[in-house]
Amino acid sequence: MDKPELIINGKRLDGRTPEQLRPIKITAGPIRNAAGSAYIEWGTNKILAAVYGPREALPKHTSDPDKAIIKCRYTMAPFSSLEEHGRPGMNRRAIEISKVTKEVFENVVLLDLFPGNEISIFVEVLQSDGGTRAAGITCAAVALAASGIPMRDIPYAVSVGKAGDTLILDMNKTEDNYSNADMPVAINPRTKEITLLQMDGELTPEQVRQGMAMIDKAGETITRIQREALRRPYEKVQEKYKASI
Amino acid sequence: MKRLVIPGEILADKPLRLDHTLVEDGKTCSTIIGLFDDQAGSFIPIEGLWYPQPGEKVVGIVDEARLNTDSINLNAPYKGLIISKFTEGNLVNGDIIEATVKDLDKTGTVVLVRPRPLYGGKVLAIKPSKVPRLLGKNDTMIKQIAEGTKSSISVGMNGLVWVKGGNSDLATDAILKIQEEAHVSGLTERIAKMVGASNQM
Repeated sequence: MDKPELIINGKRLDGRTPEQLRPIKITAGPIRNAAGSAYIEWGTNKILAAVYGPREALPKHTSDPDKAIIKCRYTMAPFSSLEEHGRPGMNRRAIEISKVTKEVFENVVLLDLFPGNEISIFVEVLQSDGGTRAAGITCAAVALAASGIPMRDIPYAVSVGKAGDTLILDMNKTEDNYSNADMPVAINPRTKEITLLQMDGELTPEQVRQGMAMIDKAGETITRIQREALRRPYEKVQEKYKASI
Repeated sequence: MKRLVIPGEILADKPLRLDHTLVEDGKTCSTIIGLFDDQAGSFIPIEGLWYPQPGEKVVGIVDEARLNTDSINLNAPYKGLIISKFTEGNLVNGDIIEATVKDLDKTGTVVLVRPRPLYGGKVLAIKPSKVPRLLGKNDTMIKQIAEGTKSSISVGMNGLVWVKGGNSDLATDAILKIQEEAHVSGLTERIAKMVGASNQM
């Protein structure tokens, strides 16, 4: 198949401008049995995240007597993608994404408060359309905050790519397949610390700078949506009684 | 004026000595979801975990009764431990007890003293951050529920609540309502109306 034209008259395949995000909707707390949970709809991506713990780290040899450990499991449902995703469960890609997601949260959660314990983060992709690692991190951050586990910040993640010579933000699956570069980034919005930076393809240093500026701007929107999702359950009760907090 | 804050949100541009907060670059920021009062400079956690303090009362379930020590499930990141010399009589697996925290040791084990078995009844698990609201000032809220429903209630700071007798279903509903609505004002009146007790606040 020939490479499709990704940008026509300044608009992308789905009608967005290069620096436009897909619509994002986050719900906090859909899973009752988890300590914290969240559901995200990012464009047509649909992802559930759940957090359990802190609880005793098992098997025992994985525990750290000085701090808690984070275990993360990112999986795609067998029906999540248009392509055949094969057997359910972990594959090479899922193991890699689980690892990078874990490392994002190791830099955010105050682990030294719970020595010998583990915090389990599960990210389940129900429907995928590109950018699921970024959406998964954004969703898991809300789930962690909802669980009451102390955190330094609520990180967000988003990717930037290159179609021809144009930088495009938040690529969908088609753009991901035919773009010249893909760079997912996770950032702590308060301190602007970068906790995830991966890249496929080629970008010049100037393009990386431009891409980071686009991510920074989009981060304001994503952070606002994350915070609104966390506030909504409490505001609902408030509205019910028309009372102050 | 209280405001709802979430992790990472800056509370003040100066360092404040508050629980559940973090000082970075001279600024104080929240680490959990809570209510911050700018004028009083106080922080009330809404979501949060339990950190054992000596002298606190807890409710737990005996996990493993052994000869010298009993291991207690506290529904928390910490395991409870009762050394048998502090126990009168034997505990068996599954017993519900209330006890007092003596200490938290380095391995994250909570040493408990003065265990008292609680017979019958049921145990509810609520969020530990909502326990102070469930107790109320000078335990007024929990007394109100106990009087209104004629139930025996024991509240552990770890978030486990034991309820027995009387209209225990109504008591359970009231406790769960407090958990849901702890951050909204006028809760004492709503609970008083629910359990039918006179409002003593």
